[in-house]
Amino acid sequence: MLFSETGSYSAVGASMRAGAALALEEVNADPDLPLRLEPVSVDPGGVTAAYADAARHLLVDHGITHVFGCYTSSSRKEVLPVFDKHDALLWYPSHYEGFETSENVIYTGAAPNQHIIPLARHLLANHGSRGWCVGSNYVWAWENNRILREALTAAGGVVMGERYFPVGDTDLQDLVAQIVEERPDFIFTTLIGVSGYEFLRLLRRASARIGLDQAAGMPVASCSLSEAELPFIGDAADGHLSSSVYFSTIRSPENARFTARWDARYGRLGRACADAEAAYVAVHLLARAVVRAADTGLTAVREAARGLHFQAPQGLVTIDPENLHCAMRPRIGRSTRDGTFDLLFEESGPVQPDPYLVWSSGAPLARPGPAHLRLVP
Amino acid sequence: MKPAIATNFRGWRAVVIHRPDENRQRLAEVLARLGLEVRLFDPGEPAGAAEDCDLILFDADDAIDGTWPAGADTDVPVIAVIGNEAPSRLARVVCRRCDSHILKPVRSSGIFPAVLLAVNGHQQRRRTEREIGTLRQRLAGRRMVMKAVLRLMAELEIDEETAYEGLRREAMDRRLPIEDLARERLGGGPEEGPSAGPRTSRNV
Repeated sequence: MLFSETGSYSAVGASMRAGAALALEEVNADPDLPLRLEPVSVDPGGVTAAYADAARHLLVDHGITHVFGCYTSSSRKEVLPVFDKHDALLWYPSHYEGFETSENVIYTGAAPNQHIIPLARHLLANHGSRGWCVGSNYVWAWENNRILREALTAAGGVVMGERYFPVGDTDLQDLVAQIVEERPDFIFTTLIGVSGYEFLRLLRRASARIGLDQAAGMPVASCSLSEAELPFIGDAADGHLSSSVYFSTIRSPENARFTARWDARYGRLGRACADAEAAYVAVHLLARAVVRAADTGLTAVREAARGLHFQAPQGLVTIDPENLHCAMRPRIGRSTRDGTFDLLFEESGPVQPDPYLVWSSGAPLARPGPAHLRLVP
Repeated sequence: MKPAIATNFRGWRAVVIHRPDENRQRLAEVLARLGLEVRLFDPGEPAGAAEDCDLILFDADDAIDGTWPAGADTDVPVIAVIGNEAPSRLARVVCRRCDSHILKPVRSSGIFPAVLLAVNGHQQRRRTEREIGTLRQRLAGRRMVMKAVLRLMAELEIDEETAYEGLRREAMDRRLPIEDLARERLGGGPEEGPSAGPRTSRNV
C-alpha cells in the first residue's frame, strides 16, 4: 500500500487506503478465493520525491510484486521506472488525465473519456458555452483544460478566462471578483485540496453579495470533487457539479453493502468516494487475477487481468484487454448539504477506456488526415 | 491564435519497416491502440509507394534501402527506431531526415510522443519549405521590379519612389504579386499566362 495518509492530499489518501483495506478483508474472508493477502504499507507523506524510495522499499526490501497506490500523476510518473526495473505491477486507483499506457500499471480510476468528455457535453447541453477555467498549476489542470477548451471551441463556445495557482494557494479574492464580474455560464475548476475549498466559499459569498444564486446561475464543475472533500467546504458545499464513475448515492445491492460497511468502519472519513471505491475495486481485481493465473508474478497476473471483470459498487467494471484501463460508467452528480451527490446523469452503460482520446475526442479531429499536406506547387 | 497541434492520429496509415521481433510487435500494438492503421514490412521487402502511407517508422539498425516506399523522401513524417548508437547507423537517421525517434527496446511509453513530434515537426518543416519557396520566387522577381521601376522613371520622368508606388498600387488593384506585374510590364508576361496587358501607364 503506497498511499499518502499524511500531507496536503491526506483526505483522499486515507480514503483510498481505507477502501483497499475493506476489500482486503473481504478477499481474505471469501471461501471462493483461495488466497490470503497480507498488506505492507508505506506513507510517502504527499511528497512526490519520496515516492520512488517508498516504492523501492516495498519492491526490494519486502520483495513485493503488487502495489496499490499513488494519487497524483506526478507521483505515478515518479515510481514507474522502479516498477519497470523490478518487474512489479502498480494498481493505480485514481481518475487521471490519460495519455499513458504502461505494461506495469493497471488503471482502475476513470480515463479522460470517462470524466472530462461527459462533463463537457453536460455543460454545453445544460448550462451554455461560455466557460471560465481555474486550476492548480500542474498537468492534471493543464490537460483537462485543453480538452474542455477544444470541446467548447468545437461547439462554438468560448473560454472566457483561464488562470492557474500554485497547489495550496488560497489567495483567490481577485480571481473570484473577476469571475463574478464576467459572469460565465459555468466555471470549470481543477483546483485541488484547500485551494478548491476556499475558491468555492469565496465564490458563493461574492455571488450572494450581488444577489446571484451561484449554484443555479453560475455553477462550478469539476472532475475531482468527491464525498471525501465536501465536509471541508462548509456551508458552500452544495450545488457543485462533479463528473465521476462512482458516487456513494448509486443504487445497487453491491453499493448498499459497500457503503454500509464503509459508514460503519470509516464514517469518520466522510462518505465513500470514487477514489476509495477504485482502490476497493483494484484489490478485488488483483485477487481474481491471481486466482485466474494461479500465480503471483507480474506477467502471469497482468495477462490474467486482461478482460477480467468485477461486479463493483459502481456496477460492472472490466479491465480493457489492450490498454489495461477499465470500462466504467460515467456519471454526473450535484453536491448536497449532507455530504453526498444527487445523480443528474448516468451513461447507459460502461464506456470503454480511451486514455489517448483516439475514439472519443470532444472536438472533431484536428486533422482529417495528412492528405492535405501534399506540396502546393 | 496559433493553430492547435495534431494530437489524434486515428485512421493514419503507418508503414513499419522492421524485422519481426518483440520491438516490432510492441510498436504495432501501441500504434493500433492510438488508432493508426499499421502495415508491417521486413527489411528488403518492397513497401510500395509513399502515396499509400502517412507515416514511416523504420529500423535504423538494419539495411532498409530496398524497402523504402518510393517517393517518400519529402512527403511523410519519418520516425527512426534506434538500437545501435554507432555513428554510421545514426548517419542514415540524419540522411532520412527523421522527425523523431524511438529507442529500443521499444516500450509502451515514448511512442505517442514520437508520433506527435514527428507529425507536427514535419508539418512545421513543410510550412517552412513552402515559405522558402515563396521567398525564393519573390527574390528572383526583384530584378524585374527594379527594371520596371527604372523604365517608368525614364518614360514618365518621375522619381523612383513615385514609380514604385504606382507599380505597387496597380499590383494591389489587380491582386497580382508586384513581381508578376513587373514581368508583364517588361513584356515577359505573368508566370501563369502570356502577357496580355498592353504596356500602358494608366495608373501612374
